Amino acid sequence: MAAAGTMRGDRVFVVLLILRLSFCPCLVGATNEYKRQLTLQLNPNSTSLPPGGDLLHVRAVGDNDTLHFLWCSQGAPTLLIVHTNTSSSSVQVNWTQFLSRNVSGGLSVEPQSSIQYSIAVVFSRLLEYDDANDTAMPDSDFFPPYELQNLNWTRLELFDAKAQLCGETPEFGNGSLCLTLSVFDSDGRAESWPRLLHSANSSQLEVWLDGIMPRSANSRFLLEMQAVGGDFPLSRVDVRQFIDDEFTPSIFKVSQWVSPVKGGSDVSGYVQWKPVAYRQSNPALEDATPCRYSDPQTQDGNATAASSALIQAFFSQPNITGLNVSFGLAGEPFYNSTRFLSWTMLVGVGAPPVDTFSPIVLAIMAVGLGTPMILLLVGGVLVCLHKRRHGSPATYQPIN
Amino acid sequence: MCFLVNHLNVFFFSGSYFCYDNPAALQTQVIQDLNLNTAKFMQLYAWYSWPNVVLCFFGGFLLDRVFGIRLGTIIFSLFVCVGQVIFAAGAWYDLFWLMELGRFVFGIGGESLAVAQNTYAVNWFKGKELNLVFGLQLSMARLGSTVNMNIMGWVYNKVAVVVGSPGPTTLGASLMIAAVTCLFSLVCALVLGVLDKRAERILHKEEGKTGEVIKLTDVKDFPLTLWLVFIICVGYYVAIFPFIGLGQVFFIEKFNFSPAEARAVNSIVYIISAPASPVLGFVVDKTGRNVVWVMMAVVATLAAHMMLAFTFWNPWIAMSLLGVSYSLLACALWPMVAFMVPEHQLGTAYGFMQSIQNLGLALIAMAAGAILDSRGYLVLEVFFCACICTFAAHVLVIMIIILGCLCEHRCFGCLRWSGCYSYRAKRRPIKQTQGDFARLAPMSAFGLRNRYLSRLGAQLPDHCSTHLSSLAYRSVLK
Repeated sequence: MAAAGTMRGDRVFVVLLILRLSFCPCLVGATNEYKRQLTLQLNPNSTSLPPGGDLLHVRAVGDNDTLHFLWCSQGAPTLLIVHTNTSSSSVQVNWTQFLSRNVSGGLSVEPQSSIQYSIAVVFSRLLEYDDANDTAMPDSDFFPPYELQNLNWTRLELFDAKAQLCGETPEFGNGSLCLTLSVFDSDGRAESWPRLLHSANSSQLEVWLDGIMPRSANSRFLLEMQAVGGDFPLSRVDVRQFIDDEFTPSIFKVSQWVSPVKGGSDVSGYVQWKPVAYRQSNPALEDATPCRYSDPQTQDGNATAASSALIQAFFSQPNITGLNVSFGLAGEPFYNSTRFLSWTMLVGVGAPPVDTFSPIVLAIMAVGLGTPMILLLVGGVLVCLHKRRHGSPATYQPIN
Repeated sequence: MCFLVNHLNVFFFSGSYFCYDNPAALQTQVIQDLNLNTAKFMQLYAWYSWPNVVLCFFGGFLLDRVFGIRLGTIIFSLFVCVGQVIFAAGAWYDLFWLMELGRFVFGIGGESLAVAQNTYAVNWFKGKELNLVFGLQLSMARLGSTVNMNIMGWVYNKVAVVVGSPGPTTLGASLMIAAVTCLFSLVCALVLGVLDKRAERILHKEEGKTGEVIKLTDVKDFPLTLWLVFIICVGYYVAIFPFIGLGQVFFIEKFNFSPAEARAVNSIVYIISAPASPVLGFVVDKTGRNVVWVMMAVVATLAAHMMLAFTFWNPWIAMSLLGVSYSLLACALWPMVAFMVPEHQLGTAYGFMQSIQNLGLALIAMAAGAILDSRGYLVLEVFFCACICTFAAHVLVIMIIILGCLCEHRCFGCLRWSGCYSYRAKRRPIKQTQGDFARLAPMSAFGLRNRYLSRLGAQLPDHCSTHLSSLAYRSVLK
């Protein structure tokens, strides 16, 4: 009791970050262009450090709506995004209920009526299989999976608008599985590959396996994710192709796990990623390894709620769909070659951002193609003028 | 005998062609097994081109004065062989500098062999057969490239099974197998030398001469339009060969082709140019108007690159278009030089053209690798489009303007080239009746009249056109 009193002041962080990162305004995309004001809160209203994991609340306030990002490591790491239609909504946490993890209602967004949409992503398991024949078909030879809720998670480290979390277990050896959440206040593009284009309505999650001891020389990994889509579950994955690979060289596709509105083409929430993972922390083009996903399938809501405190606290009857992302194709180097794998995804509400050309490419094309045309026209005019001025002498001229 | 010599001559160059594009055929394996990035991979092409910046001038000289055609051919074949073996050894022992050295040595032999092959052809086949022989040479060369593209991947996989796993050893072994073709070329060269010596003894033929005289002081006499042709040549070819070098992975990544399919579509340029070159050469010869054909080829290549860059249309279309336009340009551009300079300067002009071309290829190959590593394929394709636009299209337009202003005839009739300049490519003795003895025979009235008219600078009818000499320089590799 006495210890609780001394920790009261310093364990409640209220970090006011008004980020004025200046991104190139000419990146016109199909994203909302307004800026949001970000406020970060670690373990809101908590009197003491919650055992087992932290809860980060980021409040991104727009003109007349708010996005609440909740990132929790109690149990399996979970990201929850709640979209409300007022700029004065707030998150209330009943810590005893939240930490008990057996009833829902421990976390709520007030006022409840303002909630437009909510999407949550849970990282549930890390699977490993022995790819002895180098076929990259994860059908069999699975080793016992790592349940991510059973990992020892470190405390959330905050820097800029990012929160990093690492999990260790004796089976990893000296390695760890780390996740970094980045929240943004406006449009922009990440600095490191795959340089996903983000908007103010999205957050970026980077997952990497660093130094984990593989259980065979030919191991490959799969990451299992589960998603809750509020009223509209994330039921399908769209793959879009585009011609510009300037920001992610040699990748021409983007995959989007979306929650379609009433089976139509509008989407209310998405998980977006490019089908590439990198085998080095500062990757070059050769360090790219392709990844695949499995079809989304319905999962048991109770099991997921039991594994993640945030799901249990916020959702009463969640509709869960899950998929696996597998890293590596036949012929690609195994995890053992570098013992490092990183993969990035975007989670957000509304429509996913659409990639565009960079202005350099457009400028080069305009100059490169336009000038010969102009030259040809000008040249043709010049030649005609020249002919008119000098006439066209006959082939033979009189000698005298 | 001629039949045998024809086949030998045609085959002996195929080893060099087969091995030139080995890196492109095994791009993924080279990069993965040796832990390279794309910029370093393209160095393998750059190092092939560097010796030829200088050697293009001296190839003819070396073959004529220093070694003689027979010994010279054998020496250059040896260089090709040894170069490929060094290259394979460098891969085996995972020493990249050794591989670069191997490509350098290979390059010394490769381009000079082209000159030797042409000299043999001109020496043995006179008259109408020359066209056929040159056509066959080009086709066989292209066949070698195509076979390389499609087979090397399969060879590598088989070797990997034997060796146990992919790695530098597998790569080195595959490249050693490719070196066998170079050995075959060397054997052909030896047999050709023997046959030629026998012919010299039996038929009292002279040892062939390339006929090239390189005088660097001639460079100051080159007309402006010739320099423009040089620039067009560089600007065009740097958008073809580095692209093919990097093409396989592009088709795998963007169009989801399997590696075998990607290699096949990469090699379609060569497959098409094998039959298309003779046909298009015939068409260009018949119609003249080289500049128009060159413009068409440039526009077609630009269109092909834009299709590949900005759409997901089936790349077979774009690559076929690229193959046709590449053949068309080769048939239309190289003969243009023969119309712009007198015959005694032809050697220098072509030497210069090839030298600049190799310089451009070496530089752009490295630049392409670097661009790909940092910015990806779209920017690379845009870069190639920009190269074509700037160096080829702009310059071509400038040339058309200059010719339009200089020309006396309407409708760019002088683009036919026959009467614009007072230089007249003199007919080579090879086109006359029976080799060297024809020079001693009195000229016919027809020949006399033609000589008189050509001195006046009049326009000669088509069947008297003598740009056959330019065929000798239609560079077999490019």
